[in-house]
Order: sequence, then structure tokens, then C-alpha cells
Amino acid sequence: MDDRLRETLSAMMDDQADELAVRRVLSHHDQQAVRDQWQRWQRIRDVIHETPGQHGALDVRAAVSASLDQSHAEADSHREAIRRRHAPWRWSAVAMIALGVAIGFGAGSGWDVVSGDGSDGLVPVQAQVPAAASGVPQVTLQGLDPRQREQVSRYLLEHAQNNSVVAGQGAVGYARLTSMSGAAQGY
Amino acid sequence: MMMSERRQAGTVARLQEAPAGPTMKPDVDQTQSPAAEGQTDLQLVRKARAGDRSAFDLLVLKYQSRVASIISRYIYDSQEVLDLTQETFVKAYRAIERFRGDSAFYTWLYRIAVNTAKNFLEARGRRPQGVADVNDAESFEDGFRLRDVGSPERYLQRDQLREALDSAIQGLPEELRSAFLLREYEGLSYEDIARILECPIGTVRSRIFRARDAIDRQLGPMLDNA
Repeated sequence: MDDRLRETLSAMMDDQADELAVRRVLSHHDQQAVRDQWQRWQRIRDVIHETPGQHGALDVRAAVSASLDQSHAEADSHREAIRRRHAPWRWSAVAMIALGVAIGFGAGSGWDVVSGDGSDGLVPVQAQVPAAASGVPQVTLQGLDPRQREQVSRYLLEHAQNNSVVAGQGAVGYARLTSMSGAAQGY
Repeated sequence: MMMSERRQAGTVARLQEAPAGPTMKPDVDQTQSPAAEGQTDLQLVRKARAGDRSAFDLLVLKYQSRVASIISRYIYDSQEVLDLTQETFVKAYRAIERFRGDSAFYTWLYRIAVNTAKNFLEARGRRPQGVADVNDAESFEDGFRLRDVGSPERYLQRDQLREALDSAIQGLPEELRSAFLLREYEGLSYEDIARILECPIGTVRSRIFRARDAIDRQLGPMLDNA
């Protein structure tokens, strides 16, 4: 530690160092030297201000540091354990979501905007070709009466709410919802 | 006589003993605390919050003696005092996100220490015997005298340290001694000291550092053995 840095440390003792100076001290490569110097000056100050002498040689820094290290290690291992416990489940969830998205895209790709036909505005293009020829599962809400539409709509809404609350625990439901989303756009 | 009064009397005496003491400017408000009081603490707290353990280490080293002194007002067993001092800092580190800076860091730490000591006693079915309370933090900061329990050897050691300190201060060149005394005993800011000593702030900063360094060199071996 050169004299310039020690002078900065001395200024820190007196609350007269700016933030840049503090940063310089904390980024010094030899933190042990910084701590030693700081501690000696603090102990001199304790003598000056007559802080009771019973704990003149007190040093709990190492113990505090070790305790914090230990608790960090425990927290890390706890997080790791949780991560491992949920890992298989996460993969299955990802797989289900991917499946849901794939189904959703597949179903969605069969829909296009057709205007001026006097109907709901959105009509499944594939409805104009035979279902067997398309290869994409047909999802349609056409032919439902208003009461049935309302019921399906309410079901979809509840499903979406349920998914948002129990995210990650309803992968099957998500897939079903995604597959129905194309149908939801139909009205 | 309160400690702060003793301190002031001591400072005046030391300044009078100086071969060529500084001219004290009567217009300096000596009751005024340094403008940047607690600034370093706040900077260290900010760094500690960001995960810089070196910053927290400096706070521990700065306040460990005072925290131990607070706890020793409740707990008489020295090993338990050490354990609770450690626990106080661990709790402080874990809660440092909640320190808003409304009060001084030390005041906040003081409360944690008092509560830690009280909880310890309550957990053992003992009533807190001490007189310190969380509301005493400010008065403690002003020099409230704490119970000083120690062995005769410890008292002797403390007296020897005190004598060595006085001797080291008296041995300082006058310009270093004046700056150091005004800072350590009167708590004046560098700006106020610069006005009193009629020199640039940078010179004050350098003089105080050199004074500390000289005292450290003299007291070093005693502190290492304390």
C-alpha cells in the first residue's frame, strides 16, 4: 500500500473521502493490507475515545466473514437442490409448451382473414377444403349456438386464468388452451 | 464531567502544551459536526449492498469494539459477548438491504446489537439487566460512558496504551499535532481545521495522515500485543 492510498484511507476514517476514493481503496489488490491498516487506526481511535478496554484486541471480522460464507454456501446448495428437484419437471413442461406452440401454430396457420362475408370476420380457409386433405386438425366453433359459445368462452377464460396462477404446473392445460386459441380467434 | 467535556478540556490542554500552538479562530462554530459525517459509512454500505464484502469488512472493523461494548452492558460473559457481536454483524449484513439511510449506520447497528442482546437473554429466561436501550444510540455516539469490566491486567494495559498515546501525540511536530487533535478530539471537518490553521484542505489531510502514521508506528507493537 503506497502512501497515497493510505492517506485516502486516513481521509475515510474522517468521512472526508469521496466515492471515487473509496472505490479505489476497495479495489486495491491487497485487501488484507487495507484491513490491517484500517483496523490499527480504528484501535488507536478507540484508545483516544476511551472505548472500554475489555475488547481492545477484539476481532470478529474473520468469524463474521466465515459465518456469511457458510450461510451463502448453504443458500447456494439449497437453491441447487430445488433446481435439481424441479429439473425433470421443467423439461417436461418445456416439452409440453413446445408441443402446445407447435399445435397452436399448426392450427393458426389454417386461419386467414376474410372480410365482407357478413359472418364473424374470420373464417377458416381450410373449411373450404375437405378436412381429410389438410392434415391439420380442424378446430372450429362454427355451428355453436350463442349459449354454447358463451360456455366455451367462459371455459377458455377460466383456463387462461388458471394457467397464469399455476404457471408451470399445468402444461397439459396449456397445450389444450393453445390448441383452442385458434378457435378462440374465431369469434 | 461528561466525556465530551473531558475531551475538550484535554484538547485545549494539549494545544496549550504545544510549543507554538495554532491561532484558534473564535468564529469557528465548534459545536458543528463535520459536514460529511457518516459519508464513508454510507458509501461502504452501498458497496456492501452491491455484494462487496471488503466494504462490509471495513464496517465490522470500525464498529466491532463499540458493538461489543454495547452488548457487554447486558451480557457479562466475554465469550457470549463475542458470539453476540458476531451475530449482530451477521444480522446487519443480511438486513443491509433494509437500511434506508434515514439514520446513521451506527444508530441502526446499535439497535440490532441491543435487540440481539435482549433476545439472547429472553431466550434464556433472563431479564435484561443492562441500562442501554435502543434509544440510547445517539447519546452513546456522543460519548456515553459504558461499563468497563476488565481484569487488572487489562486496566494496566489500557493505562499503558493511554500513556503511550499521549506520549506519541506530544512527540508529534506541532503542525501535525494541531491538525490531529482538532480532528480526533474536537471532531472538526478538514474544512474547519484548514480555516483554523490557515492552510489548504489538502495540507490538513496530509498532516492528519502523517500524524496517524507516526502514532501508529509508536503504538503498533503495543496494539499488536493488546
